[in-house]
Amino acid sequence: MGKKRKHSETEAAAPAKKDDSAPERPKRTLLGWKDKNEDAEESKAKAASASGFRNKEKVLVTCSRRISFRYRHLMLNMVSLLPHCKKDSKVEAKSSKGATLNELVELKGSSSCLFFECRKHKDLYMWMVKSPSGPSVKFLVNAVHTMEELKLTGNHLKGSRPLLTFSSNFDKDVHWKLLKEMLTQVFGIPKEHRKSKPYHDHVFAFSIVDDHIWFRNYQISVPHNEADKVARGGLDKMTLVEVGPRFCLNPIKIFGGSFGGPTLYENPFYVSPNQIRALEKRNKAGKFAKKVKAKTRRKMHELSNPLEPDEFADMWKDDE
Amino acid sequence: MSFEDDFVEDDEMNMIDEDVASDSEADSLSDSDSENAITEKLAEPTKTAVYNRDGLLDKLQDISWPEDADWTHKLTVEIEQGQAVDVNDDLAREMAFYTQALEGTRQAFEKLQEMGLPFLRPADYYAEMVKSDTHMEKVKSKLLYEKKQMEESEERRKARDNKKMAKEVQSQKMKERAKQKKDEIESVKKWRKQRQQSGFSEKGAGELDLEFGNGKSFQRGGGKKRPGVSPGDRSGGKGKPTSRMNNKKREFRDSKFGHGGRKGLSKQNTAETTNDFKGGFRGGKAGGNKRQKR
Repeated sequence: MGKKRKHSETEAAAPAKKDDSAPERPKRTLLGWKDKNEDAEESKAKAASASGFRNKEKVLVTCSRRISFRYRHLMLNMVSLLPHCKKDSKVEAKSSKGATLNELVELKGSSSCLFFECRKHKDLYMWMVKSPSGPSVKFLVNAVHTMEELKLTGNHLKGSRPLLTFSSNFDKDVHWKLLKEMLTQVFGIPKEHRKSKPYHDHVFAFSIVDDHIWFRNYQISVPHNEADKVARGGLDKMTLVEVGPRFCLNPIKIFGGSFGGPTLYENPFYVSPNQIRALEKRNKAGKFAKKVKAKTRRKMHELSNPLEPDEFADMWKDDE
Repeated sequence: MSFEDDFVEDDEMNMIDEDVASDSEADSLSDSDSENAITEKLAEPTKTAVYNRDGLLDKLQDISWPEDADWTHKLTVEIEQGQAVDVNDDLAREMAFYTQALEGTRQAFEKLQEMGLPFLRPADYYAEMVKSDTHMEKVKSKLLYEKKQMEESEERRKARDNKKMAKEVQSQKMKERAKQKKDEIESVKKWRKQRQQSGFSEKGAGELDLEFGNGKSFQRGGGKKRPGVSPGDRSGGKGKPTSRMNNKKREFRDSKFGHGGRKGLSKQNTAETTNDFKGGFRGGKAGGNKRQKR
């Protein structure tokens, strides 16, 4: 295998040395020769990272048993999109899943979890949970298209950091803001993760339409020559090709704890798919009863309003 | 719902199938006599929905990253949404998502360019992609197939149209020819009548005033020309013209000995052979024939 490219390669090139008349003598340190300018920059950078912040997000991705193929492929797609995730084996359904999952998350040392639960082999629920005490959200997942579909023709580096775009209505309400924050933390790959690749060649689009969160993943294709310069007007020639997967999330409830806890938010417009199916069946079931009723009504009506004897009823009787 | 195989090929990217299969006019959950169907969404929100704004804000504060974290950690862009998009209109919805992503990338790239960070993948950077090469081959073959189908259907349509046109043109031509024939016959009759009337006088006025239309009238076979067939030609005049252009030697030998050779003039004395004392065309079977005979 070729030598791995270090991330420092792609970082901003060290600022060009000041072209003075005479180059300054490099400072001698224990570790080698260090240029004074570089040193200053390095220290500043170190200071920044020391004060800030390292994204140490780790996501645990699991599913329940009896998950159907389409949703399993969706889960595998998610695993390939997020290099900072760990895929775990299937979780037994019936037991108190909150406790087991919490334990699992603790065990693996992850800071969040994506749990795919498939019910009745038809409906997929997705839990997005921040551990250990974070909020958790339960979504109903619809309109799933996986990356394997041949109509989704784009491709991108495995593990490159995505650009995340959110539509502006994420800032309209508190629960959307919370969801936005959680999505950023889960779907955004940490900056210098071991398995992440440099360059940003794909973009996630989260939008809220009709109170659902729609997810799209596009590959960015721009005709260009160098890595950080785009030809004049090249940005205008940028096109996006869809990579997949595609899905639509319907938030059901937001809990205060992980996999449980006090309910902070309930979606007032949510109808569970079971109820929808039940209603449909009920509508259909009424048909036969209605027919029978209509028949009896007609009979009663006929009895109560007898027809007058017809004058012409005997007209053809004589003819034979 | 189509659960045929893993690699589903949707006819149209119609995601509405599973989502809003039961989408019609809205109604509440109560049992109603009317036949209004059900939606994914309730018309009026249930009154008992919990909405703990403060709790949500608290949690948000808990999990948020620190304020001074670099934008490069988050890489988020917020895009203004234009007008509300109708969920059921596939094309408009996808366009909205696409424009949102495009706008977002532009803004992000501008930011990255300001910071001086590289963001585009150079052409020679080969690394593992999220879809395997074999999969991309399949995608490519599918695209080519579709393109081919379209082209073929175009061609078929064009051929059909051309045929129609050709048929029309042909019928027109036939009509014209018939008319011409009729005309010519008529004119001959008229001339005869004229002559009769003028009493068969040998004057110039009775000259046949026909125009031999375009110099092509009265050829046997209707004027169709066939290239001249030489007596030695065994192909009956239908041979390929290019075969005559290749090589004189080859040509000569073919005409004498190929496919049965010449029709029967192979041993005759022609003008060329009479004056040819040394044996004419050397080589090949021309000499061998004589030797065999002995």
